[in-house]
Amino acid sequence: MKKLIKYLHLWWMMSKNSFVMVFYSKAALVIFLTGKILRFGFFVIFLIFLLKGTNSLAGYNLNQTLFFFLTYTIVDTLSQFLFREVYRFRPQIISGDFDLTLSKPISALFRSLLGGADVIDLITVPPLIYALIYVGAMLHPTLFQIFIYIILLLSGLLIATAFHIAVLSLAILSLEIDHAVMIYRDIVSLGRFPTDIYKEPLRGVLTYLVPVGLMVTLPAQFLIGLVTFQGVLVSFLVCAVFLFASVSLWKFALRYYTSASS
Amino acid sequence: MRKYLTIFKISFQQEFAYRLNFVLWRVRNVLQIFIAFFLWNTIFSDPGRVVFGYDRAKILTYIFGLIIIRAIVLSSRAIDIAGEVSRGDLTNQLLRPMGYIKYWFTRDLSSKALNLIFSVFEASILFLIFKPQFFFQTNFLLFFLFLTSLVIAVILFFFLMFIANMLPLWLPDQPWGMSFLLFIFTDFLGGGVFPLDILPSYITKIIYLTPFPYLLFMPLQIYLGKLDLITSFNSILIGTVWVIVLALGTKVVWSQGLKSYGAVGR
Repeated sequence: MKKLIKYLHLWWMMSKNSFVMVFYSKAALVIFLTGKILRFGFFVIFLIFLLKGTNSLAGYNLNQTLFFFLTYTIVDTLSQFLFREVYRFRPQIISGDFDLTLSKPISALFRSLLGGADVIDLITVPPLIYALIYVGAMLHPTLFQIFIYIILLLSGLLIATAFHIAVLSLAILSLEIDHAVMIYRDIVSLGRFPTDIYKEPLRGVLTYLVPVGLMVTLPAQFLIGLVTFQGVLVSFLVCAVFLFASVSLWKFALRYYTSASS
Repeated sequence: MRKYLTIFKISFQQEFAYRLNFVLWRVRNVLQIFIAFFLWNTIFSDPGRVVFGYDRAKILTYIFGLIIIRAIVLSSRAIDIAGEVSRGDLTNQLLRPMGYIKYWFTRDLSSKALNLIFSVFEASILFLIFKPQFFFQTNFLLFFLFLTSLVIAVILFFFLMFIANMLPLWLPDQPWGMSFLLFIFTDFLGGGVFPLDILPSYITKIIYLTPFPYLLFMPLQIYLGKLDLITSFNSILIGTVWVIVLALGTKVVWSQGLKSYGAVGR
């Protein structure tokens, strides 16, 4: 418990520093916030007019399709808010500055994963949650469905955590890759739409191998009432396997860190 | 001319310095096409369906055409300009006996050549996997207009990138904020995510006044024969006007920006 409080305190300190840095450069704040809002707005407009013309997408109506998109956006935004430091990790490995992280009396994984929360993403979270509740309410879910939906969202966020840990590990194992985190983002963006639109074997890959379906599609499907409890259990199981595998990969990768340029 | 040819060759070779990185960049492009392909494939699962004026063959041609056209128009090294300015490395470039704008345009062309080779390969593989219906433009004049619109799109995107990357001349700590915004506009208002004509005409009329539709959307519309000859000519004319406006804008921004350049980082 003491350790948990210490790490929460550390996270708050590191996040505060990160927020101050962003607020210091107001132009960056305005540009990136505008960009994120525009990207979101453009996509919603696209979905509205697309569904007006086609009436349904893979059997889902406009509200349901919007809800899938909002679920994807909240998982994606929360993981960007929490794990922004991952985007800055590779230069630390190349320059050897990661030595400084290793020499500190805190978990190197904690520092590298959660050391730079992004305030720009945090600003967009409250309106996103409002939109999620607004559109979700139109689907008339029961309290139980809402409860499991939230649990599944947290499970999705844990799978996203596992992916970010894997990206950190890859940065240590191969100095050549600087697109890994963006490839993760591109793969997850396949979940902007319900994974039902993808054909096999891609749909299977997106459900079990790169479980975008479990991260973003399954929670929304449960709220709509399309998933059995068995599917929920599979989601938790896959989440546990991915977390275990990614932490193991991190421990394995650390053994190969050579501190080359320091 | 010879020195720019040498820059072209060196830039081409530089792309191979980080081979895995380049391959992963291409993987990212393919993933983006995956979303669009499956989305429209689902909507047009009934082969006889016509929505927004597109049948199955035309919409899938639009998606596959995007792979090639994105590689030609949007592949760019000019995105590195902002970083160069931020680090103060622009000083080195200014001392060299070459035009800075021509230098980056040559590097852009080199990047486009390499990406084009890869995109043709990727499109062929995806074509063999998905076996989509494809629309071949047989009208020679329309095909010629399509190629002309592509040339305009390439120049247009270069000027847009160049201007966006000049921001660090005033704000050195902002290496790529404007490029981020530019890519969002290019994707959504340029037709990179969806064909613009699914939107109501009161919205598209406004979008057509901006330079973005002339990057991806209009060339594809001309290829698909969705524009008649006069509208195609008009589209090329508006693109050309934008090229002239942005060329003048580039000159102004470059000359004014240099006055503000403080070689920060040097």
